[in-house]
Amino acid sequence: MIIKKLFIFFSFIVLSTSAFNQLVYEFEDSLQEKRFYSLISEIRCPKCTSGSIASSDAPVSRDLKNKVYELVLDGSTDQEIKTYVSERFGDFSDYRPSLEGSNYLLWFGPFIFLALMLAIFFIKRRV
Amino acid sequence: MNQLLRFLIVILPVVVLIFFAKILLIDEDIKFSNFDSKNFPEFQLNDLNGDPVQSESLNGIKILNVWASWCITCLVEHPFLTRLSEQNIQIIGLNYKDSDSKANAWLEKHGNPYLFSIYDPRGDLAFDLGVTGAPESYLIINNQVVSHIQGEMNQRKWQSIFLPLIQQAKQGS
Repeated sequence: MIIKKLFIFFSFIVLSTSAFNQLVYEFEDSLQEKRFYSLISEIRCPKCTSGSIASSDAPVSRDLKNKVYELVLDGSTDQEIKTYVSERFGDFSDYRPSLEGSNYLLWFGPFIFLALMLAIFFIKRRV
Repeated sequence: MNQLLRFLIVILPVVVLIFFAKILLIDEDIKFSNFDSKNFPEFQLNDLNGDPVQSESLNGIKILNVWASWCITCLVEHPFLTRLSEQNIQIIGLNYKDSDSKANAWLEKHGNPYLFSIYDPRGDLAFDLGVTGAPESYLIINNQVVSHIQGEMNQRKWQSIFLPLIQQAKQGS
């Protein structure tokens, strides 16, 4: 009796819709797979406050992941894919801001601040 | 030297404070509405009546409103869009990831402020436009995407984001 109940219980788990929910991406080689997963972790989910499309299940993130998958299989380079996304969703979509314009402050600001703090620290110690 | 240090100790926290205050106080609506204008993406879609949409229909000054029958906020902004259409503002709908029967029933029930609605069941055109969800609105001037409002359209966003650009375009032409 208990075996029968357990069988029914586990059948429900195994056959539940969540088991089929996850899209499975299939790749021609492991390099494509690596590139895909690294790209989706570097593209920001446009619907979320903060988070990559890899971590988001918002409909627009799902569309983006499918598009990135399609482009990776088509042989587009990482830069081409990022440009494709930013043309549609803005520079905001790239988690790795490019080295240009006001982004210099973003990249080097913390180091300038650190240098300034260290300078103050050493000057003060000497005084 | 001591004076310089004292000066820095006071000025540095002030600079940091101003920096973060500025980030916090940026109006999010305006932040996402400003971008370099771009050509309206090419598309081949029908309207909700099944007739093909011509790209010439995007000439002149048009508002493109992304909506769906499943979208609750679209219902919230609907009275405002209706008022705009009564003031002869030309609004085109982009029916997003919906079914045409549900969309047509929705328009029949709540009223239709749109000149016509482009039927985009898979969200292809919406993706090329950079739509993140419904509702969103775009200001299109002569086939150029000029500005963008995410979320509900209301009097405040209309007046601060779209209206100045429309007036500017009217003066220019």
